[in-house]
Amino acid sequence: MKNCIEVKNLVKEYKNVRAVDDLTFEVHEGEILGLLGPNGSGKTTTINCILSLLKFSKGKIKIFGKNMEPNAYDIKKDIGVVFQEVAVFEELNVYDNIDYFCGLYIKDKTKRKVYIKEAINLVGLENYQKFLPKQLSGGLLRRLNIACGIAHKPKLIFLDEPTVAVDPQSRNNILDGIKKLKEDGATIVYTTHYMEEVEILCDRIIILDKGRVLASGTTDELKKLANIEEKVTIEGVEISSTILEEIKQFKNVDEILYKDNILFITYKKGKNNLSELMDFLKTKKVVYNKIFSERPTLNDVFLELTGKELRD
Amino acid sequence: MFFHNFKYAFKTLIKDRMLLFWTFAFPLILGTFFQMAFSNIENSETFQVIPIAIVDNDAFHNHTFLKEAFQEFGKEESKNQLFAIKYTTKEEAEKLLNKKEIDGFLWIEENPKIMVNANGINETILKYVVEEILESEKIVKNVVSFEAAKYITEQTSDEEIYKIMAEVGKNVLKMQQENNPTIKDETSANMSYTMIEFYTLIAMTCLYGGILGMVSINHHLPNMSSNGKRICISPTPKGKLIFSSVLSSYIVQLFGLALLFLYTIFVLKVDYGSHLSFLILLSFLGSLAGLSLGIFIASVFKVNENTKIGIMISITMFWCFLSGMMGITMKYIVDTKLPILNKINPANCITDGFYSLYYYTTYDRFFYNCIRLVVFSILLLFIAIIYLRRQKYDHI
Repeated sequence: MKNCIEVKNLVKEYKNVRAVDDLTFEVHEGEILGLLGPNGSGKTTTINCILSLLKFSKGKIKIFGKNMEPNAYDIKKDIGVVFQEVAVFEELNVYDNIDYFCGLYIKDKTKRKVYIKEAINLVGLENYQKFLPKQLSGGLLRRLNIACGIAHKPKLIFLDEPTVAVDPQSRNNILDGIKKLKEDGATIVYTTHYMEEVEILCDRIIILDKGRVLASGTTDELKKLANIEEKVTIEGVEISSTILEEIKQFKNVDEILYKDNILFITYKKGKNNLSELMDFLKTKKVVYNKIFSERPTLNDVFLELTGKELRD
Repeated sequence: MFFHNFKYAFKTLIKDRMLLFWTFAFPLILGTFFQMAFSNIENSETFQVIPIAIVDNDAFHNHTFLKEAFQEFGKEESKNQLFAIKYTTKEEAEKLLNKKEIDGFLWIEENPKIMVNANGINETILKYVVEEILESEKIVKNVVSFEAAKYITEQTSDEEIYKIMAEVGKNVLKMQQENNPTIKDETSANMSYTMIEFYTLIAMTCLYGGILGMVSINHHLPNMSSNGKRICISPTPKGKLIFSSVLSSYIVQLFGLALLFLYTIFVLKVDYGSHLSFLILLSFLGSLAGLSLGIFIASVFKVNENTKIGIMISITMFWCFLSGMMGITMKYIVDTKLPILNKINPANCITDGFYSLYYYTTYDRFFYNCIRLVVFSILLLFIAIIYLRRQKYDHI
């Protein structure tokens, strides 16, 4: 598979902090790569270095097989970026904003008109073309932000948390639009904190923390990395501390948490954990409303890899 | 690409309310305040004709010097009219004085006497004028006697003495008129106190236009705005984008300046005199200097946009203050104590250029100021370009 982006041993240092630490990865042509990581893990810094917006301390970056530099205009013409912050002109209406940014890539006015119309349709802003950004809701503004970044039909698109603070309807619209871009052949680098988005969209995922790759692979590959096998939840249960102690002694139990009449049990591995537990509860005459078992999610993998402590 | 960016840069600037206020509305508001404040000061200082009375008796008619002088000073519709004179009896004059319809009256019995009721400016002027006329009379009489004595001997007949005295008298009066210095103001109202303020206002407007240049540059800097990041990753060369944006800023600035000229000429009725084309030329160069200052601050200072605007406004106001915006005395003080400061002050170059049009008969000083503004602009632009070319971002 051909590489669209190649990052080798990238290092970015601020005074005493190493924001990106010897980072190496590739993005394959036509895939959606998810960049996951807690706040301050180096996702946005990595993107800014790839785009030559930031100078970096060490490493090599190639896009479409060529070295990326600030004046590599032949590479830049095929790149689109949707930044985390909304990047539009407050004084220009929706159409003019898209036209302005698209015009920096596409000279031909007729071609541009077609592209703008397609971008507006993609993000569902047909009825808001004459609106100023301040007249748009948060979701519509995010959609405009995306339209400005992708109207020129780039081959490579960076989407840096494009769905932050938008309602479910707008989010669905945005995710559908991203799938459409992939279908049209674009390669996408997608950063987010929403695990379900990554599971829906991304072909491959890289989990970053402290500027390093902690893990990478498909969703299933990453889930296998988790140290847990199964999570059992019992709702509406009243249980004594003696019984809790007994459950803790079960062979595969890793962790238990009892709070507000809900019992969470995490198993490391093993089979028939649920039936064994249900039999035990029956013999102890413990009643409950609901019991269910879950496989580990990407969120569990993420928390296990990056730790559960709060980040700045 | 150039015109595409130019079009949208222009559109963005003319729709930015904050910018419109500082570059368009603020100078107009300030100009209106100047007109309201300073025109009243000037009106209060305008000389008003003094109402007086003269006791119309034989003694007055026989006193040729006083009679002719007061006829001249009392001529209605004359530029030199100093007094509004009523010729009346002494009793009537006293009544008018008591009713305060006149500020004083002249009454000649053996000697001229002045009657006044107060010690104001008008009363002082009346006394001073009468004393001056009498003093001049004495001088003329002495000179005539002295000059005439050269031609008169014991054999000279009375008829010849009369002729000589008349001829010498004529010559003395002619000499006095010829040697009397006159001030001719060719510029009419162009250098009044209000005008000085208006010239400083134009200078301030030119320099405030720098905010437009600053905003244009900020739009292209990735560390200043998200738009800057988006523009920076586009395949259009930075130089082309910045040049077209700066050009649009300059044109918007010139619109603002044109608006100020139109408003002051047609609404505030400001008379810029016969040098309007030179004023406009200097304003264009002043605007270029302002724009360069804005570009310089935007490129060199690594602070947020509001701080940059604060720096720009502070520098501009300080320069305008030094060039005499809050009182022309400041310009004089700087010119005498620290002249170098005013030589590098673009606000002073602009106002000094304006003044030079009215104080000097040649254009040397005017063009000297023009050249200083051009040099100032080139220097700042040169530094700004060096910074912009070398700029690499560690943080954005």
